[in-house]
Amino acid sequence: MVDSKQQWKAWLYLSPAIVLLLVFTVWPIINTVRISLLEGYNSMGASGGDVFNFGFQNFVDVVQYQRFLTCLQNTVLLCVLTVPLSTILALLIAVALNSIRPLQRTLQTIFFLPYVTNSIAIGMVFAAMFNIIGLRPAAGTMMADTWGIINNVITFFGGQPVNWINQGSDYWANMAVMVIYIVWNALPFKILILLGGLQSINKQYYDAARVDGTPRRRVLTKITVPLLSPMLAYVVITGFMGGFKEYSSIVGIFGEKMGPAGAHGSLNTMVGYIYDNIGNQEGRASAAALILFGIILVVTMINLQVSKKRVHY
Amino acid sequence: MANNDNMNVMRDRDLRKVTSSARVGGVFAKIGTYTFLIIMALIVLFPFYWMIISSLKSLDEYRMNVPTFFPQKIMWYNYVEAFNTANLGRLFMNTVFVGVVSTVLSLIITVLSAFAFARLEFKGRELMFGALLATMMIPGELFTITNYATVSEFTKIPALSWMGTNTFGVLIVPFLVSVFYIYLLRQNFLQIPNELYLAAKVDGCGDLKYLWKVMIPLAKPTLISITILKMMGAWNSYIWPRLVANDEAYQLITNGLRNAFTATTGDVNYPLQMAAVAIVSAPLFMVFIFLRKYIMAGVSRSGIKG
Amino acid sequence: MKKILALLLAVTIVLSMGMMAGCSGSNNRNAGEFVVPEEGYDGSAVEITFYHTMGAALRDVLDKYILKFNEMYPNITIKHSQVGGYDDVRDQIKTEITVGSQPDIAYCYPDHVALYNKARAVATLDGLIDSQIKVKDAKGNETILGLTAEQKADFIEGYYNEGKSYGDGLMYTMPMSKSTEVLYYNKTFFDKHGLTVPKTWKELEETCAKIKEIDPDSIPLGYDSEANWFITMCEQYGSPYTSATGDHYLFNNDKNKEFVKMFREWYQKGYLTTQELYGAYTSGLFTATEGSKSYMSIGSTGGANHQRPGKDTSGEYLFDVGIAQIPQVDASKPKVISQGPSLVLFKNAANPQKVVASWLFVKYLTTTVEFQAEFSMTSGYAPVLKSVDTIPAYADFLANANGGDNITALSTKVALEQKDAYYVSPAFVGSSTARDEVGALMTAALANADNGDVNALIDGLFKAAIDECEYNG
Repeated sequence: MVDSKQQWKAWLYLSPAIVLLLVFTVWPIINTVRISLLEGYNSMGASGGDVFNFGFQNFVDVVQYQRFLTCLQNTVLLCVLTVPLSTILALLIAVALNSIRPLQRTLQTIFFLPYVTNSIAIGMVFAAMFNIIGLRPAAGTMMADTWGIINNVITFFGGQPVNWINQGSDYWANMAVMVIYIVWNALPFKILILLGGLQSINKQYYDAARVDGTPRRRVLTKITVPLLSPMLAYVVITGFMGGFKEYSSIVGIFGEKMGPAGAHGSLNTMVGYIYDNIGNQEGRASAAALILFGIILVVTMINLQVSKKRVHY
Repeated sequence: MANNDNMNVMRDRDLRKVTSSARVGGVFAKIGTYTFLIIMALIVLFPFYWMIISSLKSLDEYRMNVPTFFPQKIMWYNYVEAFNTANLGRLFMNTVFVGVVSTVLSLIITVLSAFAFARLEFKGRELMFGALLATMMIPGELFTITNYATVSEFTKIPALSWMGTNTFGVLIVPFLVSVFYIYLLRQNFLQIPNELYLAAKVDGCGDLKYLWKVMIPLAKPTLISITILKMMGAWNSYIWPRLVANDEAYQLITNGLRNAFTATTGDVNYPLQMAAVAIVSAPLFMVFIFLRKYIMAGVSRSGIKG
Repeated sequence: MKKILALLLAVTIVLSMGMMAGCSGSNNRNAGEFVVPEEGYDGSAVEITFYHTMGAALRDVLDKYILKFNEMYPNITIKHSQVGGYDDVRDQIKTEITVGSQPDIAYCYPDHVALYNKARAVATLDGLIDSQIKVKDAKGNETILGLTAEQKADFIEGYYNEGKSYGDGLMYTMPMSKSTEVLYYNKTFFDKHGLTVPKTWKELEETCAKIKEIDPDSIPLGYDSEANWFITMCEQYGSPYTSATGDHYLFNNDKNKEFVKMFREWYQKGYLTTQELYGAYTSGLFTATEGSKSYMSIGSTGGANHQRPGKDTSGEYLFDVGIAQIPQVDASKPKVISQGPSLVLFKNAANPQKVVASWLFVKYLTTTVEFQAEFSMTSGYAPVLKSVDTIPAYADFLANANGGDNITALSTKVALEQKDAYYVSPAFVGSSTARDEVGALMTAALANADNGDVNALIDGLFKAAIDECEYNG
């Protein structure tokens, strides 16, 4: 039942968004495609009058990079690990917050607090927490000047200190730090959205559940999650889109070298690669961006298919 | 409606019975809930605490190999110096202006677009929405170069020069549309039963009136979330303003802050910078606490509750 | 979704084809040297934009001298701004060049200039430096536009030559203020134990061994910059590192592998560490009051303040700091790195007068002894002129140099004493990649596990570094 009045109204309502998107988003995308097809394109050379050939060499260059697979693996791994984890944690926190009375306001404020803190400051803080200063072998064991707060806590409980991010650290230790940091970073936004969603759920459903004496876990899985599903879908889908673009969090912990000392680049990601090349190889950067776009597109299509079946509006 | 009220009375009576019997189990659940929340809260708080104590340390103490958990000597002076070093007043006004204007305009655009996607039937709706989502998938860093060229062209065209380089327009207009927010609000709108819209139409209620009277109140928590995110955006934006507004009259807070504490050596005085960050975060934090009340109130005030 | 894809693809391909046709061949910017206009500076009113990284204190010094400059050239307005750090300046200008809105003058490092030069945006200085055209200032003095023989001779040669490190013999930049690496040592400790300051790497090894005997928990030497270390060693050994022309990346050779292997042994013996391996600035280790310590630290003269220890309860510094030249391969032919900002000028096709006016200002900043002296005292960086000590205030500054309150003066003094030892590495588009890669190589080669075959580890690291350079370069 598509009536013509709705037709023009819809386009009228959309027009401001469309005009702005055409200028500031669609046009840059087209330009990206153009640049990716100009072999060896770089903006400096271009402003100096260099002419570039049409072709697919940029894409070949990207795929042939010795660390391309490393970048791809890190990108996918970080995304797959952090999105479910942060979503589940955020859901639990949001539900818990919604169920209590005393301290609710205080706790809520605390969970939103990271939002008003500067991201540069937070990255430095996290690095300092995991950083070991002066780690070196001494008489068969390892000694250090400062083990970092996290290791202090571990040894306090009788554990062995872990080399998290310093020279000689294990890839999975690095990954663990990244996952913790990224999840920490993602929590406030997700809690905000999910709590907003929870507040919109009609209280009648819960009242009914209480009358029936439904156990809490069943309430969570049978009422809260289904009713929250549009917001959950949103959080997961946008989480994946953002997760594939992970970059600044790694810079926050490891610096622009994208890896621990002695293993630079071992934690580089697709967007990290793009940044590295924006300096003087925009052709490759654009090609890599399009490859990444392709990956995200496929994942999002899968996500949308799943959510079509599971989301209740 | 009267029928509904009767139902509620009955339900309340039953509820009292149920809650008393479930109280014992409830206590354990409550303790568990609080323990979980408080542990998570401490984890979330720690870096924030770190930022505050760092802002109160001297540069020498900050650079010490063994970090101290509480400043040996509290340097309130860092705050005075941070305030004096950066031209905070001007930066502040600029940021608030840009933040408020872009938030208001952005909300209008977002609401209209989300309404169209959630409620109106039109040819190519799915296609259009899919295309919108697709634009979110390209890393935005690549847009900067092209957009910079675009606004530089605007500078030369009299009719568009209000959003050329070194204007407030250029700081606001390129970021008015956020597909993220349109998508978020659409999800929210979709939850509102379509019957309400159809009923409103039968009553002769126009689209805009319906939006204003029904949809917006119902989506209030989401709209407030968007407001917060958008304001944060103005507060944290760095790369674009630096590029297009090097005239001090249009500089935003992060740009001013970043420059103020970098010495010639490229060495940053972090305690001072942290103090400055704390200063500029404070108003935002206030706004936040103020708005939180509205997030809470969002539902109870809406006219639809049973 | 399939439809969307098809649509997006179709639209973009059609549009980009159109773009492609439009974009080629429309450029006629002239390459090559900047040609000085015949009239020199014609006195016309121009506004000059200058990007730098100066903090508030240095901006005050600059403003003071801009006023003096304007007494001579009232029609030249200087608008300057701190864009952030060095990388921020580069990124900003790089983007501005794409639309032709770059500044007239900027702080720069050689690899920035190589990048700008790719866009043929840099105004070369040879024509200006050699120009004999007469310029009359507002006070009625007539001078030549270029540099006089005395002015040229007053520059510290190593600093001045940085402007010519681009492989084509042309002069691209003027030195502004400079720093180098020096050896900071714990003079109190050295005196107490009768240690002598090492002049060569061989002596350094012996000193480290002795310190290890005295204080087994110590790490005798901290070296802040892994990249500087590698590059300086190449220079001291005379073995190839990079070249501005032809094959750029030459550092994969046996000599370089040899010294890397030697330092690896030292590291494994606990003689030394670097910033990355230590996990913090090694100055922290040098000034540490508890835990392990270092007694020598190689770092920038610009960071002298951080090498100064804390004070005890009576207000005395915990130890006295001595500053010396870094160890050498051959002490009779010393080599030390030259760092710190230079000034670059940009072309302006529309108004060459802006370039000439910019040059007048750059010439003023780099040849005015008073400015150089005051700027040096405020920044802790070395001036680029030999005659600064003719300024009484500056002579005092140097005379009062010590390892305590006036440690900045001491580091500057040591930097000035070795003015004949400065080297600069070739600058080209990939030179910053090469720098990053050899730094990473050094870190990994010192500390990474070798699984029983050191040579395989080191060969592998050199090859990976070269591959990375070739890919990016």
